[in-house]
Amino acid sequence: MLLYILKRVLSAISVVIVTLVASFALFFLAPTDPAGVICGPRCTPERLADIEDSLNLDEPAVSQIASYMKGIVVGREYNTGGTVRECSAPCLGYSYTLGQPVTKLLAAALPVTVSIVVGGAVVYLLVGILTGTIAAQVRGTSLDKLVVGSTLIVQSIPYFVFALLVALYATFLPDSGYHPFLDNPLTWASGLLAAWLCVGLTNAAAYTRYSRASMIEALGQDFVRTAASKGISRRRVVYRHGLRAGLTPVVTIFGIDLAFQLTGAIFTESIFNLPGLGQLTLRAFGQYDLPVLMGGVLVGSVVLVVMNLVVDIAYTFLDPRVRLG
Amino acid sequence: MEPLIEEAELARAGSPTDAMASPAVDPEKKVDTRRKSPTQIALARLRKDKVAVICASIFAFFVLIAIFAPLLAKLEGQDPTTLHQDLIDQYGYPTIPPNGEHWFGVEPRLGRDLFARFVYGARPSLIVAGTVTILTTIIGVTIGLLAGFVGGWLDRIVSWVIDFVLSLPYLLFAIAVPAVLLTLFVGTAENAAAQDVANARFFSLIIVLSFFGWASLARLIRGEVLSLREREFISAAKVLGVPTRKILFKELLPNLVAPIVISVSMALPSYIVVEAGLTFLGVGLTEPTPSWGLTIAAAQNYYRADPLYLWIPVLAITILVLSLSLLGDSIRDAFDPRTRR
Repeated sequence: MLLYILKRVLSAISVVIVTLVASFALFFLAPTDPAGVICGPRCTPERLADIEDSLNLDEPAVSQIASYMKGIVVGREYNTGGTVRECSAPCLGYSYTLGQPVTKLLAAALPVTVSIVVGGAVVYLLVGILTGTIAAQVRGTSLDKLVVGSTLIVQSIPYFVFALLVALYATFLPDSGYHPFLDNPLTWASGLLAAWLCVGLTNAAAYTRYSRASMIEALGQDFVRTAASKGISRRRVVYRHGLRAGLTPVVTIFGIDLAFQLTGAIFTESIFNLPGLGQLTLRAFGQYDLPVLMGGVLVGSVVLVVMNLVVDIAYTFLDPRVRLG
Repeated sequence: MEPLIEEAELARAGSPTDAMASPAVDPEKKVDTRRKSPTQIALARLRKDKVAVICASIFAFFVLIAIFAPLLAKLEGQDPTTLHQDLIDQYGYPTIPPNGEHWFGVEPRLGRDLFARFVYGARPSLIVAGTVTILTTIIGVTIGLLAGFVGGWLDRIVSWVIDFVLSLPYLLFAIAVPAVLLTLFVGTAENAAAQDVANARFFSLIIVLSFFGWASLARLIRGEVLSLREREFISAAKVLGVPTRKILFKELLPNLVAPIVISVSMALPSYIVVEAGLTFLGVGLTEPTPSWGLTIAAAQNYYRADPLYLWIPVLAITILVLSLSLLGDSIRDAFDPRTRR
């Protein structure tokens, strides 16, 4: 068991390191011209050289990567036109266009994305599992067919189209926008309501199907029949005995989904104008802000890898039937 | 094999082959002995599925629109790039409703013909999604076959790479990588011609989507091959000295038709969505390429004044993706009887 966890952790670390090196090579060593972008159209050669110097673009590739890694672990110093800026660990550099540390920008963006994803997850878990469980109990009836059919259709509508139409036409919902939770939980929730409903309702379709399938399987098991034969009420059999067994596969899918949504809330953020991780990356794309792009990609990778690791390890505890190979 | 043929011969002659079998075998009755491959059986099942037939026709309809886009535009007498500034008032709104000359009306602000942009817009969606689906399928199947069959260090490396690709934040990379590819293709963006940028965007989109798309299919194929390669017919082929290439493509591949077809049918609609979505965000295709994603992005500012402008591409992409997804679902049911509801 311990060996398995150790192996998974090592492989996760290797993935993060390779992502770091590969994306660094892609972003900073490709024959791109970041200094020219920062300098803008009216650029003097002296200013260009100064910028290149401050970004260490004149150094060999290996030492550039080394100083970037060093910045993450212990922090580094930036030399811009004679002034020295201290960038404490974990340092991901300074934004080319905003002049702020990338870590600060990311730290401001992450709570927004997390709020969207977690709130959406509450909606789709509640709606999806409840609908799925009900559909499983009335399997084969027209109600069941209606549920399955409508999940199919909801799942097939392009998400950005759905979100856009909600944003444009569902004007009865409160205006969306991000207000920090600690300032006022009520405005926080009302600003995110539309986004939550969008994320929640579209994903609920998938969760309805998952939980319907796994509830049908669980309700066909012997222990459910035994419980029913002991005279336990149907409601208790379904929601206490069946649901508990039926939810294990759903929980696994949920863990992986959650990680992907954290890195893929871009459409929601962009359509509802919420300044999260995706919008930060989008803005950086438009302005060719490489350190921010790189930081966004790195944070996304780490979130994804860590979540996958947690799900894998949690699964071995949740389901004793999983054999470790 | 011999006893089976004997049995068949006996059955044809009318004598019971088994003491337990019913003796009432009618010697006159013609037995349908045409052999059907599993693929043919699945296709026959698919033809009987009404939803599948309707969805396939809708898909074919869109493909025809894309192929005959120039012809359709000519039929209307317009093209997707001409600016009709005379039909736009000083606030940027079109002064004419849809009419015989402009079937869907004209775009606000620029005044380009909307019907022409609609028919041409079907092209990039289908070309990008189709190309990416073909590329990822070829790459995924080849790598999966090799890793599963050869095993050893190759398998270990490939498995790690698959895990690696699958654990990258796909959408973030899809935004970040084209930024770099663009400068590789056309240099600094400021002095590049719009058409060059559009072409570079087109290719970098295909490259990025292909890079992230092959891994899940490769993993699936590798798993299937791992179980297939222990079967007798593969051992037999190996003993007979059949070259590895032939074992892979003549022995193993035909057994993998079902998972490959299912994966293709699921991949196509998802790439159409991703292309339109990224284009909508401004990181996919760009002007002057006519694309539904671009039209939707531009039309969201006019949704009240000019709802048709927004709703035509919205409905087109929704219907296309919906029918492809439902078709994919039917294909999965037809090829994989275990999933039948």
